[in-house]
Amino acid sequence: MSSSGVNPSDIDMDLEAQLRDALRPVAPSDAFTQALLAKLSARSARASSARESHRSQAAGRGLPPTRDGERVVRLARRVPGWWLTASLAASLLVAVGAVQHLRAEHERARGLEARREVIEALRVTNQKLDLAYRVVRSQSSAMAEGDSGV
Amino acid sequence: MDEQLLRARRGEPAALETLVRAHQRTVYGLALRMLGTRDLAEDLTQEVFMEMNDHLTSIQSSGHLAFWLRRVTTNRAIDQLRRRARIDVTTLDEESPLFGAVDEADPLLQRRLSLLLAELAPAARAVMLLRYQEDLDPAEIARTLDMPANTVKSHLKRSLDYLRLRLEEGGDARRGDHST
Repeated sequence: MSSSGVNPSDIDMDLEAQLRDALRPVAPSDAFTQALLAKLSARSARASSARESHRSQAAGRGLPPTRDGERVVRLARRVPGWWLTASLAASLLVAVGAVQHLRAEHERARGLEARREVIEALRVTNQKLDLAYRVVRSQSSAMAEGDSGV
Repeated sequence: MDEQLLRARRGEPAALETLVRAHQRTVYGLALRMLGTRDLAEDLTQEVFMEMNDHLTSIQSSGHLAFWLRRVTTNRAIDQLRRRARIDVTTLDEESPLFGAVDEADPLLQRRLSLLLAELAPAARAVMLLRYQEDLDPAEIARTLDMPANTVKSHLKRSLDYLRLRLEEGGDARRGDHST
């Protein structure tokens, strides 16, 4: 026997059985159980009340009454946010499109202006050449008349 | 029991009471033997059942509920024990039936086992309680504690060896510390 009065060899032989005997589930006091059940009931009642309240709010917004009232209300609250995001995205797309269109128009206008300038330059050049031709031709005629008069 | 679960989900107080009464011995027993005092065990039991009430929709069956309760209770208790120093078992309420069946088993041995079990590290203590209080096999304990099965087996072997050794020594059970 040990100093505690327990025979070690007996314990060693059947320790697991002793543990099973010793470690049987323990019930709490009835007072505790009653208090716990009261708290759980109160909590459930509050949760049911909250669900009912959410359901009423959802119905007030024209949403169908469902068992999961909170989710419906949450979705209803998210709708404006979703539309805001979509509106911003659409506005951004329109703005980008408009900028691209303006840029293309500007490029096209610059191209037309350049073409017009080239045509004008060619026209001026043509006039200059024509004038030079006339001058050369008149001088040649004068020289030919002078030669025949000698 | 699954019918009770469905009714409890719908918020029927009677069904909720049935669930609590069916599982309170498991939850309170684990809490009491993990934490060592009745007040702490009652606080943890209340916390676990409140959380159960909030999570009933995610619990699929009575088996799942038992698994969930054991898992939450042991994990919460382990967290509490790790946050503070080792429980001083001498402060236990003497009337608290930390170990049951006093009328059938040796009360001296009950007391010794109580003291020795409290010396185990939190995870090892949880493994021992799930094995010998809840009668789970090592694979079920591993799933409950999210621990490798070999670690569970190692905890069991080392804890049993430690208990045998300390019982054979027959000295003051609170003399040493076992940190498996």
